[in-house]
This record gives sequence, structure tokens and C-alpha cells, in this order.
Amino acid sequence: MSTLVGIAPGRRRKDRLMRGVLAATTLIALVPLALILYELIKRGIGSWSADFFTTDANGNFLGDPGGIKSAILGTLEMVGLATLIAVPTGIGVALYLTEYGRAGRFGSLVRYFVDVMTGVPSIVFGLFVYITLVLSGAGGSGFAGWKGAVALALLMLPIVTRSAEVVLLLVPDSLREAALALGAPRWRVVLRIVLPTALPGLVTGSLLAIARGAGETAPLLFTAAIINGTSFDLSQRMSSLPGRIFADVGQAQDRLVDRAWGAALTLVMMILVLNLLARLVSRRSRLT
Amino acid sequence: MRTGLMRFSLAAMLVLAVGAAAACGSSNKNSGSSGSGGGATASINGAGSTFAAPIYQQWGNALKSQNLTVNYQPVGSGAGVAQLAAGTVDFGASDPSLTPDDRKTFKKGEAAQIPMAFGAITVSYNLSGVQKGLKLDGATIADIFLGKITKWNAPAIAKLNPGVKLPGDAITVVHRSDESGTTKGFTTFLAAYSPEWKSKVGVDKTVKWPTGTGAKGNDGVAAGVKQQKGAIGYVEEAYALQNNFTTASVKNKAGQFVEPTLASTTAAGEGITVPADLGIGIIDAANPKAYPIASQTFVLVYKDMCKAGVAKGTASGVKRFVDYGLGEGQNVLGQLQYAKLPAAVLTKAKAAAGTLQCNGSPLTGG
Amino acid sequence: MEAGSLTDPRGSRSGLGRLPLTQLQDRALRWVLKGLAALILALIAFFFIRLYIEAQPAFAKFGVFGFTFTNNWDVSRNFYGALPLLVGTIVTAGLALAIGVPVAVGAALFVSELAPRQVRGPLTIMVELLAAVPSVVYGLWGVFVLIPKLQPIEQFLSDKLAFLPFVGGHVPGPNYFIAGLILAIMIVPIVSAITREVIATVPADHKEAALALGATRWEMIRMAVLPYSRSGITGAAMLGLGRAIGETIAVTLVIGNAPTIGKQIFDQGYTLAAVIANEFGEAANNPTHRAALIAAGLVLFVLTLVVNGLARWLVRRAERGKVAAPVADIQANAAAAGG
Repeated sequence: MSTLVGIAPGRRRKDRLMRGVLAATTLIALVPLALILYELIKRGIGSWSADFFTTDANGNFLGDPGGIKSAILGTLEMVGLATLIAVPTGIGVALYLTEYGRAGRFGSLVRYFVDVMTGVPSIVFGLFVYITLVLSGAGGSGFAGWKGAVALALLMLPIVTRSAEVVLLLVPDSLREAALALGAPRWRVVLRIVLPTALPGLVTGSLLAIARGAGETAPLLFTAAIINGTSFDLSQRMSSLPGRIFADVGQAQDRLVDRAWGAALTLVMMILVLNLLARLVSRRSRLT
Repeated sequence: MRTGLMRFSLAAMLVLAVGAAAACGSSNKNSGSSGSGGGATASINGAGSTFAAPIYQQWGNALKSQNLTVNYQPVGSGAGVAQLAAGTVDFGASDPSLTPDDRKTFKKGEAAQIPMAFGAITVSYNLSGVQKGLKLDGATIADIFLGKITKWNAPAIAKLNPGVKLPGDAITVVHRSDESGTTKGFTTFLAAYSPEWKSKVGVDKTVKWPTGTGAKGNDGVAAGVKQQKGAIGYVEEAYALQNNFTTASVKNKAGQFVEPTLASTTAAGEGITVPADLGIGIIDAANPKAYPIASQTFVLVYKDMCKAGVAKGTASGVKRFVDYGLGEGQNVLGQLQYAKLPAAVLTKAKAAAGTLQCNGSPLTGG
Repeated sequence: MEAGSLTDPRGSRSGLGRLPLTQLQDRALRWVLKGLAALILALIAFFFIRLYIEAQPAFAKFGVFGFTFTNNWDVSRNFYGALPLLVGTIVTAGLALAIGVPVAVGAALFVSELAPRQVRGPLTIMVELLAAVPSVVYGLWGVFVLIPKLQPIEQFLSDKLAFLPFVGGHVPGPNYFIAGLILAIMIVPIVSAITREVIATVPADHKEAALALGATRWEMIRMAVLPYSRSGITGAAMLGLGRAIGETIAVTLVIGNAPTIGKQIFDQGYTLAAVIANEFGEAANNPTHRAALIAAGLVLFVLTLVVNGLARWLVRRAERGKVAAPVADIQANAAAAGG
């Protein structure tokens, strides 16, 4: 017999049961992922071909519907421009919050509103850009790729800021103090010590924000619009992968639905690579 | 390893950024060249009717070889009118004629509506074991879309179809969720045969549907009908044919049950009167051979596009598009089961296209 | 990187005071950064004011209360009462919470407290990958896989459970339940990530004390972990709620787009976000319609604001005194919020 105090069978049974339940919930949480990936690969891979990636949706009512070249390019361009706007701004704001505004009222106000911005539904950003940039015909046209990029940047900005702040806070104060004590001016400390130390974390946060932006449809609906044909001019309406998928989901014809699956597989792959990259970078960080 | 990965990530971001910057640069070049008018290379943006989308896409393909790129967004007639008013497109496309309220929203100038083709709005159903040609009349269809008839073997349907074995499946109504010319045509027809429909729901590009699933565009409704057993919806004939739908024979004004075909759509357009503003309507035509739920479709353009903010080269492109549609384009309509415009309408449409201007001088269209 | 500058010999500089140039650079950086921070505030203020102004025609015509709580969304009669949309939003988000939160919390507990150490990392990553799937892909999957596969099951449940309130009758493909189910899947990663973070703040002493007293693992979870992290988990659930309320594209594709209040959970409906996505393109030339949609956006904005504000407060309170695990926090922030 066991020398330990025995656990009453009832309690043991309950323990087993609850462990089982918790394990089951984990499984349940993972089932959709498996199902989605399975369907994506099963239905998506069939539409992948050289033509699929090198031709554009042509809107033909009959026959070959065309591929997703412009949609991929559009997503890359718009997300690229959005990154160009959101990442420097976001990291700048985060630097302010950690280096200058840690305690002040202004700092906490900004922090609060950055939090608020992370919760704003992406469609509302689309609305906002539509009102301010599309209706006013800014830049000489209605819908335009760069306006879509602005909407994506608004969405990415708080994500970049929040994650950058978390990472910058992890840079040990002793490092800052040591540099200052050696006579380095504050701006040098910020730009040459704090930023490089936190770089992997900042890259991780930015990559995740980019991954978020790349998958968004709602902010692009009334800003960049969804079009057929070739488009890589950011001052014109522009295709995007999520937009292409959204347009094709509501179609009755199998050839268009097949394209939606193919495009979805492409998009998910792109995002998974970004996520993977983000994780690898963060694993290399000295701070975590 | 660590720095290698970092460099790679940074490089990836840089590539994205450079790509974006390059695209910005190239945009200037393009916008510069589009100003040179005439039959040169041009690109025009249009949006609206999904009813007519197959036509414009077909025409666009033909015009590509003539250096004219037509970007047509099938977003529904309501959005077509809205986008033209907002100036986000060079031309709009709508099935119903413009209402005075529509016209009030055009702040950039007066708009012309140019009819382009006729098509049939089919009542399509997904019912296993029931052939094409189920007979329905306006009142019965209205009751189905009102949610009063909920089973396929309801007496009202059975009475119209003696000898047809109807299953007891529940009816799932599929309708448009966007503002649609197809909806306006369909509700106009229902209101003509059902007082209850007229008072409760009304006639418009979008209505407050008493029942059913909403879907975007003719293609969306087609998808809805295709995906749900027992579904019924209304889609343009080209969409019905494309998806091999079974379509109903609908009772017309003369009391005949008529199937939607090219011939019965053409019959609906015969002998109509054409008002000065070309605002024709062919729902519930009197011709005994006519399919009763047929609709026209218009291209909408500002009479003076340049004054409304369209570049001259683009305006010429729009003119070329319209000219093509009223000329050669009429000959390809049959392939898609749309009916040509009758001669009387076509003459007036061409005359209207001839009056399009750019800053007061007539557009040549190259 | 270029941190080498730190080791530069600084002998040339007197230690008495900084050079004016350096001071200038110091100030410049400070003001540039502050400017960026101020930009965010200005942006949000502008954002809110602009939306409010644009929504005015609708509020002026129907009143804020009348707009929000009237059950009549009728575009053809130009009458806009957003109650059906609000109900749709609340019903779907509620279903999402009811289904998603237990799963997410269970998974977080399992990963943090029960799973063997080697599988914790992979499990965490897999749960969080759910957040990497774009909204539109969930919609695609919902339309072509979930709806056809579940419809017979839903119809069976609807028939057998018809005695329950809000259940019974014919089940159309797209409906509240499907939308709620997809939303549940979408909120699992964020709720789970935050829950894990909160659980991580439970002092080891508490857990060890429970185990030392002879508690089983489950008893330890129930007596030490759950009570300590209750408010944090509530906060996590509310963050999930915020996400569910604002989700657009996936819901648009599977809700059925019917601007009426469904009689049962298997009826078609509409949500605030979905109506904006569907109708905004055609509302540009109808000032009242456009204002009504922007007002719907504003209601959505305020709703998410309140929910998120409360949630952040709860989570922060629960995590007080501990720096959050950065990757989890970044992940949580990056988890999908919209569409």
C-alpha cells in the first residue's frame, strides 16, 4: 500500500475527469485550425498553377477567370506602404512612452488611447478613411491603393505601438543609466542603445502587425475597392488578396470559388510565414 | 544566425517598402499619359449593375485589343448611381431609370441614361425532382417572398401546377442585400399583382424583406440558390443559365405562362414608348409572348464629363465604350442571352450618346 | 549594432556641461517623439469628431435613442432604426462568448497547468495560429464547409429542442448560430492568450501550498488558480467580446443579411458591422442613409470602446505588479480585431 496519504477515489475521479475536460477543450480549440488548414490545402492547392500567379482576374463571365497576380502585388504594395507609415510612427510613439512619458499624465493619456485604438473595429477605420480621403477626392481620384494603405496603417499603428512599448520596457534601466553615466547624451542613448537592444522585439511586433494588416478586408472595401484586371498603381483602385477572396466567395460558379480557395491558401501561407519569422526573431532576442 | 534572421526580416520589410515607393513613382507616369485624349490608350472605371455585368465584361474584353481598358465593378445598381454621384467612377450602370431623387444627388452636373440591352429576371429554384418550367404567377411569387407560402407543396403552387409532383421541402427565400436594379424590376412586378406586397413592402432597389437570406449581387443570389436545397431567388437569365438553374414560367399580363428566353425577352421590349429622357421600363409588358419580369439596363454618364471632373482622355474612352456598346456590342448580346435594343430605342440611344460633351465641345470618342 | 559609439573615447569633451548641439539634438528627439504621440491623440479626436459630425443627420432625424433602439431598418423608406442590427451584434457576440470562452479558458488552463512542459510551446503556438487566419478566410470556410455540414445537425436540434425558447422552425443555411460559432473560433486565441498571461501571475506559493495540502491538480486549479485570476479572465472574455462585436467580414458572409430581428437562434439576421460593409458603397449619394451607417459605426465604436476599456482595466488590475510576458501580450494585441 502507498505510504502517501491516499486520495479518496471520488476526488481522484473528479481530478481525472476535469483533466480530461481541460484536455478536451484544448483539442476542441485546435480542431477548427486543423479543419481550416485541411480544407485550404485540399481545395486551394488545385487552383495553384503558374498561370494562377501570373495572370489577373479578368471578370470574364465564361471561360478562364484569370489568376491573382495583381491581388498579390496589391496586397504587398498596400501593406508595404502601410508599414512605411505605421512602423516608424508606432515605434516613435512607443519610444516617447517609455523614454519620456512613463509617469506623466500626457503619457498615460496617450497609452490609454492607443489601447482604445486597438479595439476599434477595422471597418470603422475604413469608414473614416472613406469620409476623409475618398469622398473628398484627395489626390485626384476616389478609391486608391494608397488610401487603402492609410486605412491599414491606422489599424497597424496601435498594434506596433503597444508591442513596441512592451519590448522597450524590457530594456533594463541599468543599461540606460550606464550609458548616461558615461556621458552619452540622451538622444544617443535612445537611438543607439535602447533601440538596437530592443530591435528583435520591435521586429517581431512589426511583423505581427504586418501579418494583421495583410489579412484585413474591411478597411479596403471602400478605400482601395476591389477590381478585376491589372493594377499596381497606388493612385488607382487596387486589388488585394483579401478583397479578391471576398469578391469570389459570393459567387455561384465553381471556377471563381476555386480561385477564392487558391487565393486564401496563398494569403494564409504569407501570413503564416510572417508569423513564423516573428517567432524566430523573438526567440533570438536577448530580452526574453 | 541571429543577425542573419534579423537582416532577412528587415530586408523583407524594406522590399515591401521599396515596392510601395516604386509604385508611387510609376503612378505619376501613368496619370501623365492618360491626359492625352483621342483614340489613344485609355483606362475607364465603371461600377454598378450586376444584372449587366456579364455584358460590360464581355465588351471590355473586346475593347482591350483597341487599347481601351474597362474596369467594371459589379456592385449593384444602387452603388452604381451612388458612385457616379460621388465621382468615384467615370460611368455608372443601373437597370431602373433614374428617379427625380436620384437626379437630385448628381451635384457634378446633369447625367444621361443610355439604354444598352434587355434581359430577363428569372425566378430560379433549387428543388430536386422538379423540372424547369414550374408555373408561377405574380400573386404566388409575392406570397412566397412575403413568407406566407413556406412549403413547396403549398396548395397555391400545386393549383398552378396540376400533375407536377411537388416535394414538401421548406422554401428558403434568397434575395438581394444590396441596392439592386434587379430587385426594383422584381418588386415592380410583384407589386403589380399583390396589393399586400405593394402596401407592406413596396417597390425599390432595396426593400425591407419580410423573410429570407440576403446576398450581394446577382452572383450572390445565384450562389445562395445553388447552395441551399429548397431555395428560390431571382437572378438575371445569364446567371441562371451559367449555373444550370431550373427557372419558373411566369404568368404575364395576357395570362400566358412564359419561360424566360431570348425570344420572350425580346418580345417584352417590342413596341415600347420611349420618353425624351430615355427612361424606359419593360416590366409586365402587354405582348402575350413577352416574359413579364424583363428589365432594361442603362449606362449612366455625365452629359459633360470633363466639367464633372473626368479627364478628357478618359471621357473619350467612356464615349468609345458607349459607342461600341450601341454598335458592334449589340451583336454579342445574344451569346449571353440578353436582347438587343429595338431599332426605335437604339436610334434614340445613339442620339443621346452623340450629345456627350467635354467642356462644351462634343466628344469624338476617337 | 552601432552601440559601439558608447565606447567612443570622450576625452575631448569637458565633463562640465553638454555641448549646445547635443542639447538641441536631445530636445529635437524629445519633441519629435512627443509630436508623434500627440498625433495619435489628435487623430483619435479628429476621428471621433468627424464621425460624429457625419452621423449628425441621422441623429438629428431619429434621435440618438430613436436611432439605436427602433426596430426598423428600411432603406427604401429612408428610415433607420438600428435595433435589429444591435440585437444581431449582441446575439452573435453572446453566442461567441458562450461557446468560445469556456474552450479558451480550458485550453489556457490545460496548457499552463497540466500539459507536459515539452508540448506547451507548440500548443500555445497552434492556438494562437487561429488568430493568424484572416477574417475573410473564416468566411470562406464558413460558407462552403461549415454551413452545408452543420445545417442538417442544426435542423435536427431545432426540431428536437423546439420546447426551448428561441429554438425551433426551419433552419436556413446562414444564421445567428453559425455566425456566433465562427466568432467563437475567432476569439479563442485572444481569450486564451490573455487568460494564460493572467494565470501566469498566480503566485507559485499559492499553487504549491494547495498541492502541499494534498490537493489534486484540479483542486489546485479550482482553489488557487481560478479565484486568483477570476477578474483577469473576465477581462479576457470581455476583450474577446470586443473583438466579436467589431468583426465584420466573416459575419457578413454567414449571417444572412436580413435586417429583421430573428425569432430564434437559427434565423438569419444582421449586425452593425455587416450592414456597414454591405450598404456603405451605395449610400454615398443618400445623405440620410450614409449618416445612418456612420451612426451605426459610431454605435459600434462606442460599444467596443466601453467593452475594451472595461476589459483592459480588469486585465491590468489582475496583472498589477507583474510585467506581462511580452510575446503573449504582443500576440494578444495582434490577434484579429475586425475584418
